[in-house]
Amino acid sequence: MILAVSLAISAIFGSGVFLLLQRDLLRVVVGIVFVSNSAILFIIAAGLSRGDAPIYPLPEGGLLDAGTSDPLVQAMALTAIVISFSTAALLLGLVYRLYAAHRTVDVEDISEAETREAEALEREEEPEREEEPEGKPAEVELEEETR
Amino acid sequence: MRVPAESLVLALAVGIPWALAAALSLLDGRKRWVGWVAVAGLGATLAALARLAVLVVGGGRVEMTAGGWPEGVGITLRADALGATFALVSVGVIFASLLYEVLGGVRSRTFPALVVFMTAGLTGLFLTGDVFNFYVFFEVSMTAAYVLASYREQDHQVRAAFIFAVINLLGSVVFLIGVAALYHVTGSLDMVTIAERIDPVQPNSVIAIAAAIFVAFSLKLGLFPFHFWLPAVYVGSHPPVAAILSGALANIGSYGLLRFGGGLLPRELEFGSAVVVVLGTASIIYGALQAISRRDTSEVLAYSAIGQAGYVLVALGVGGTVGYAAAVLYAVVNSLNKGLLFLAAGLRGPLVGPAFAVGAFSVAGVPPTAGFLGKVALFESGLASGTVPTSVALVVLIFLGSALSFVYSFQIYQSRFWAPKPDDQGDRGKPSPVAPRVVVVLLAALALAVGLWPEPLLALSETAADILVGGP
Repeated sequence: MILAVSLAISAIFGSGVFLLLQRDLLRVVVGIVFVSNSAILFIIAAGLSRGDAPIYPLPEGGLLDAGTSDPLVQAMALTAIVISFSTAALLLGLVYRLYAAHRTVDVEDISEAETREAEALEREEEPEREEEPEGKPAEVELEEETR
Repeated sequence: MRVPAESLVLALAVGIPWALAAALSLLDGRKRWVGWVAVAGLGATLAALARLAVLVVGGGRVEMTAGGWPEGVGITLRADALGATFALVSVGVIFASLLYEVLGGVRSRTFPALVVFMTAGLTGLFLTGDVFNFYVFFEVSMTAAYVLASYREQDHQVRAAFIFAVINLLGSVVFLIGVAALYHVTGSLDMVTIAERIDPVQPNSVIAIAAAIFVAFSLKLGLFPFHFWLPAVYVGSHPPVAAILSGALANIGSYGLLRFGGGLLPRELEFGSAVVVVLGTASIIYGALQAISRRDTSEVLAYSAIGQAGYVLVALGVGGTVGYAAAVLYAVVNSLNKGLLFLAAGLRGPLVGPAFAVGAFSVAGVPPTAGFLGKVALFESGLASGTVPTSVALVVLIFLGSALSFVYSFQIYQSRFWAPKPDDQGDRGKPSPVAPRVVVVLLAALALAVGLWPEPLLALSETAADILVGGP
């Protein structure tokens, strides 16, 4: 059982990391979901025990003797699932925001598009810059410093 | 020790930001009054934390078990000097940044709510006594940070936020695995119980857990081999956001390393102390050299953050009361410096220059600024470290690091405030509004005041170190 679970965890973690290294941002998000899920499996595995469902009222003989399974790992796993699901939603939101701006989800295409836009902006801004008042605030600060 | 009034202060410090954040997320943060409600709420949290800090220094640990459950079943909030110190300084930096942004005009409806959510996560994280709760609070504040990093929604900011989120989520997963493994070997999530039960556990399984936790926090802190995401995020961010990320959020890393390394796994920390010191050294040198080679102010500050984190790590590696006290003190002083410098870098006009200079002096460790205290504590810890050759090496390293930070601090100060380049004129338009500048000047005054009257901070950091050495 331990071997099976650890193989499953490592397979999921490994494929998650492989996806994380892709250039397609959607694959990166799926990779994060995989990696988080391997951690959730790891939590379950940390308290892997057979037994009845840990639901109150407990069966006769108390918690340990009756072989109730560990309730704490299940609570932790639930919390971790909620967290990983919400962060995945946030990441997808960010990806959508980038897609809406550039019509692509490939990291390299996006950074190329950004460079092009930045260059275009610089070309537009340059004539404006020279019209702005020159040097005055700098002189004021200089006075502050020398005082 | 457990007086209801003390528990009430603890509950207020953790509870106020939660309630406030939930309410604020329904409101439009661009309205002035909403911003001021957020500022008032954070002010109340700050007051509760200050009271808590006084309580824990005077009377030891304050504990509260949520929901009236018996101890060991319910979730424990536990404030000691270490947590209270970090909570106080982090919320202080967040408060100053929020005030700065509200005075200058909030541009996004979610900004105040996100900042308060992050405060809620941070106070919870510093004041919890439960390892899994630590993870949950940590995710709350990190998630707020992911959204904050994309504030203003410029494309490059969104991309930087995406990278930031992916890298840090990977770190969080590694930490979560560490937490689950700690639970597996000790059967408990309570920090005190874990520290008691970890000793008889086989060292080779604990080393792996310690390594996972170390990697996770190093990622948050942006230490040398794990720093690659940091400059892109800090350079793209809006000044108050950068101040919050660097001055408050990075404290998670320092606190986590101290709490888990010094408090829960001291044996493993001692075993790996050589690695820790070497990584810290590499961080200091790498950060300082990169910072010197950069020209853009926020880029220099980002690399400086990497270098400054290295000092905390070196002090942690030295260990013992002196080392831990130096690490706490340096982390506190550093977050004050970074908050001040990032905020001042976003402004121009009279009084900003002197405020920035105070921050730069403080990073370089020139008396009478707060940074001097940090450097003195580091020298002490360097001298306290075992053999003569390591002491000499550490003292030389700290001196060299300080000299390098002096160089880059004044390079940016000079290029920004003394000798503006001709093509830079476009950026130096009219001076910023007065109110945010006053905030920056007050922060600078605080940095000077801490340097001139260091007793409270020294008392806090020494009490914190005693707690770590004497078991959590």
